[in-house]
Amino acid sequence: MNTGVVELAAPRVSLCGDAALLLDAEGSLSLPTQQRIWTLSEEVLQWPEVVDTQPGMNSLLVVLDPIKSDPEGVATRLLDAWLRTDSGRPAGRLLEVGVVYGGEWGMDLPEVARILGMTIESVAQLHASTEYTVFAPGVGPGYGYLFGLDPKLFTPRRQVPVMRPADSSIAIGGAQSNLRGPRMPKKPDMVATGWYSVGRATDVPVPFDFSRQPPNLLSLGDRIRFRIERIDA
Amino acid sequence: MIEVIETAPLNSVQDLGRVGMRKFGMSPAGGMDRLALAIANAVLGNPRGAAAIEFQMFPVRLRILADTGIAVTGADCNARLDGRVLPPWWAIPARAGQVLELEGVTKGVRGYMGVAGGIDVPIILGSRSTSLRDGFGGLDGRALAAGDVLRSAELVAIASRDAQGFGVQPPSVALAFGTAGPRETLLRVIPAAEYPQFDDASQTSFWNAGWTITPRSNRQGYQLAGAAPLLRTEALEMRSHAIVPGTIQVPPSGQPIIQLADANSAGGYPKIGVVIDADLWRIAQAAPGQILRFVECDVKTARAAARDVATYLSEVERLSSYVWSRRAA
Repeated sequence: MNTGVVELAAPRVSLCGDAALLLDAEGSLSLPTQQRIWTLSEEVLQWPEVVDTQPGMNSLLVVLDPIKSDPEGVATRLLDAWLRTDSGRPAGRLLEVGVVYGGEWGMDLPEVARILGMTIESVAQLHASTEYTVFAPGVGPGYGYLFGLDPKLFTPRRQVPVMRPADSSIAIGGAQSNLRGPRMPKKPDMVATGWYSVGRATDVPVPFDFSRQPPNLLSLGDRIRFRIERIDA
Repeated sequence: MIEVIETAPLNSVQDLGRVGMRKFGMSPAGGMDRLALAIANAVLGNPRGAAAIEFQMFPVRLRILADTGIAVTGADCNARLDGRVLPPWWAIPARAGQVLELEGVTKGVRGYMGVAGGIDVPIILGSRSTSLRDGFGGLDGRALAAGDVLRSAELVAIASRDAQGFGVQPPSVALAFGTAGPRETLLRVIPAAEYPQFDDASQTSFWNAGWTITPRSNRQGYQLAGAAPLLRTEALEMRSHAIVPGTIQVPPSGQPIIQLADANSAGGYPKIGVVIDADLWRIAQAAPGQILRFVECDVKTARAAARDVATYLSEVERLSSYVWSRRAA
């Protein structure tokens, strides 16, 4: 099975029904391209027919008012706006997170090592050697989608999801790696996921908290560094 | 004020959804059938976006604690006020002490109860909707439970020119289109970015086959089952991207999933199509075991459908303005 990642030669805007558009940027994931997406996201949010925006990895979702807007007209304007959007943005703040790789909570580390033909130590060391940037909001409130996984650690997502710990986990899925916040009340202990759990953050702060203003700890462009506390077989 | 005497699980306070919070990766939540919710408000003269109760499971018994107006819309859920049958899609004055019973559904899945003034729970990030997914909003982020007391947003008693109340033509009649079989629901769908990646046989069966709603269907999404899996010519890995309710994803199993109000705000499965905004309410009223059929649609048709919904809702609001008179409680 071919598990390469889709890469476009030119940017593309597609319809997501009649009330949203998706801009897919050209080329591979990179910080300059993603910075352009953040800038475009803020600009487009000011357009009168736009209800909300949400950056993805190399993409931008633009939610429209289905009565007020002409999606095909907005699609043309969105593509024009993308072509003249610049990159360039100051680096965000840095959060350091201690990690126990492998063991009971990083139960998929041996499987990832086997898939990649590496030792568990070299997977952990390579994973902790790079800095990760918050590229896009996540599937729900949390740390979001991170960019920075070394290409040598790309691991295709599982075809059939498995149950894995929901809190404080570090996982690899495809070309991405993510971090989950600590256990929260009213939330399940385990989640179904196609990603591989490779470690557990020992003292990860709560990423989203209504008592804070703003409630999210990290914003787009902020960075995370993982520090190896231990590697368990 | 309304007291919950008895309720089945998964019934919650909802409005039209939490819009503008995608920067936090938040899906909109809100009523699954936003049209029925808007009508439950419109027939009482409330703003469309006032909060109402969404009932997904039955039975339910509620006691009215102060004179008000109530409306029950959405699924036909055998509503009785002090034992007297309330027709579906009906608004009526309710007196302190009366008991509203919802026995169970005979048609549709989700019922909505509007209250004059709307349900008063705190507005969190711009909405009163309960996010059952993330555990906030509505009543402290949870479903209704026996003993809960819900307040109305403004203290109004409402007087009807007709004590019997009044009803409206249901959207299934007013907004009917196409010819569906007895246990089928037609949904208009615009092909999405990955549609061309599916092989010819899969594209054909997407439109022509019936898709059965499996029991794994809820506010997050509906998992469907069809005769043959939908396959792509090349299984390319997708990057994570934001998605909207109505998105039809195809996971590796080839059996599609429609993502809905409480879905993840982003995902990585290919999108074969997206149900148009004007038809999302139809999904909310289709039950497991029933069949969905996808009808190919373009933007022009979708906009006409959106305008039909808007016209219908405005007409309901116009009628309702003749029926009720408000006075301070």
